[in-house]
Amino acid sequence: MDDYQTCPKCKTTKYRNPAMILMVNACGHALCESCVELLFAKGSGACPECKCPLRRNNFRIQLFEDPAVDKEVDIRKRILKEFNKRQEDFPTLREYNDYLEEVETIIFNLVFDIDPTNTNKMIDNYKKENKDITQKNRNRQSQEEMELEELLEAEKAQQCEKANLYVNAELEEKKQKHKAREKLIDELMFSDADAKSIVASHAQATAALAKEQPKAAAQAGSGVVKSSKFSSGIQIGLRGHHTNSFLPIPKQEDLPLYRYTAPVFDYDGPPPPSIEMLGKLNYFANIRAANITERAGGYTEAMSCCRALQEAMGGLFYSPQSTHKTAVLATISTEDTDDMETT
Amino acid sequence: MFATSSQRHFWMFKDETDVSNARLSANIKYISSRGRNMTVAERETHFLNVVEEKSLIMSYEYQLRDFCRKFHPPMPRYVVGTALHYLKRFYVNNSVMDYPPKEILVTCVYLSCKVEEFNVSMDQFVGNLKGDREKAASIILNNELLLMQQLDYQLTVHNPFRPLEGLMIDMKTRFPTFSDPERLRPGIDEFLEQVFYTDAILIYSPSQISLAAIIHSASTSKENVDEYITKILFSEDQKRLLNLIEAVKKIRVMVRNVQLPHRDTIKALEKKLALCCNPDNNSESPAFKKRMKQSFDDEESFEDGQYPSASSDQVRSMLMGLSEMGKI
Repeated sequence: MDDYQTCPKCKTTKYRNPAMILMVNACGHALCESCVELLFAKGSGACPECKCPLRRNNFRIQLFEDPAVDKEVDIRKRILKEFNKRQEDFPTLREYNDYLEEVETIIFNLVFDIDPTNTNKMIDNYKKENKDITQKNRNRQSQEEMELEELLEAEKAQQCEKANLYVNAELEEKKQKHKAREKLIDELMFSDADAKSIVASHAQATAALAKEQPKAAAQAGSGVVKSSKFSSGIQIGLRGHHTNSFLPIPKQEDLPLYRYTAPVFDYDGPPPPSIEMLGKLNYFANIRAANITERAGGYTEAMSCCRALQEAMGGLFYSPQSTHKTAVLATISTEDTDDMETT
Repeated sequence: MFATSSQRHFWMFKDETDVSNARLSANIKYISSRGRNMTVAERETHFLNVVEEKSLIMSYEYQLRDFCRKFHPPMPRYVVGTALHYLKRFYVNNSVMDYPPKEILVTCVYLSCKVEEFNVSMDQFVGNLKGDREKAASIILNNELLLMQQLDYQLTVHNPFRPLEGLMIDMKTRFPTFSDPERLRPGIDEFLEQVFYTDAILIYSPSQISLAAIIHSASTSKENVDEYITKILFSEDQKRLLNLIEAVKKIRVMVRNVQLPHRDTIKALEKKLALCCNPDNNSESPAFKKRMKQSFDDEESFEDGQYPSASSDQVRSMLMGLSEMGKI
């Protein structure tokens, strides 16, 4: 994918120069970084393909493979900063859709350079009429963005805390081990008791400590939650009235609970004994017993016995019918002719 | 289980006339498509009629049995049973003249080995055949899809062997007055071998067939198992008992009438078959070989962007072959 992207001016590819970055300009054409610098070093400033005048800061690093897409994305961002009305601002759905269509037409015209004078006039008209609504929406948007940012920050902080906890816990463990070892050495040096018993008692003590560590860590971890409420019950930040919009799955109404119904088999024959009854009815005397390897795999004699009996009983009541397709077709055609004769 | 199987829902017939009607229609279809330009008398002599086809199929069933008996590694009986089922089903829908029975025979056995989980590799399989092994392998692989298509891809077959075991176990447990039902085994095995040469497997359920086998074997050794049937199996349903007795009687009659056709008649029929068979499907015929070679050569030229230039009668023969398969 990267290999064939060429700069139209100097024709280097990414294959030849892997560090090459394509920049895209306002008219939608791509140029590699070095060509851009070259172009503006000479002081000219016209796009090599379409000759429209350019400015140095109008060159953005290309995010998409197709420079046309990049151009459209840029224009869209710019326009939507101005045209930021939402569905709540319109009395009917129809009007909202009309507004959206207008926005799309403007963007389309700007991307493909259709009728630029009219389009610009439309934009200016809109700007004048809707200045205050635009401003209000802008403020509302920034509020939402702020909330999102806060959430992200809270998450990050939590993660940091957890990481810190682990590091601390490890340090603690190390310190304790060190202390225990020193204590052991001291006792061995200065006490008069038997060396082996001292070592044994220390081993027990360290084992007991090791068990307590995970419990302590769990307790410590739960104590670092950032408080979201003031002591009087008021929520911190603007999170209060927006929490319900962050539910991952909408709540479902109660559907009827699943009820298990056992499957019913129609054997078309006398009913065979069920698998639980086989042992009591002494069927196993007449069947080869399962050897050890088979029983280890979960096989019991009851299974093959039951299957054999089911197959034996199944179909005994069957009476011959024509189910084969040629026979069925033949019967259908004879029925038809009968009908035709009577009418 | 048989009661819910595709065998019961799609591959059962009402009685023997039903089966022969199906074979008759396949035969007529083939004759009418191939012998369009002949008179009635000519057609009689040139093509095989239904009775002759039936004898041919029976002889091929014997050949299949022999092939499986000599098979290495030894083949269990349910694999043979399934292969015979497939052969029978295939030739209910198609005429013997249309597809050469020898090739379909080996394909049936191969497919049945796969379906019944009796693992044989292709090399092992063709090792049991005489003659050119590569050619046999390619024949089998070419025909496998055709066979499955003609079976409507319904490959599970219920054979009478497991119901037989079940009935044996049941007899030993619930009917202890009859001493040692194992004595009946040789008679039963012989009966079941013979029943596969009849159409009973397409008309009756496998448990009915195995019960008929038990009754037959008991009566030949002058024993009586009627008590078992009336008191224990059918103690609740007396009317169904009559139905079953009827079925068992018919099955025994069918088995009694099995007659292996004479070798000379078979030889004559095979000669006739070689004349009237469909050359497009017969891998021996020169027309088939030429067509295969042509299509192979043309495949190479496809890459240049050219299309194959088949001659007009080759195209016609290909189209006829295709249209016949379409009609079936």
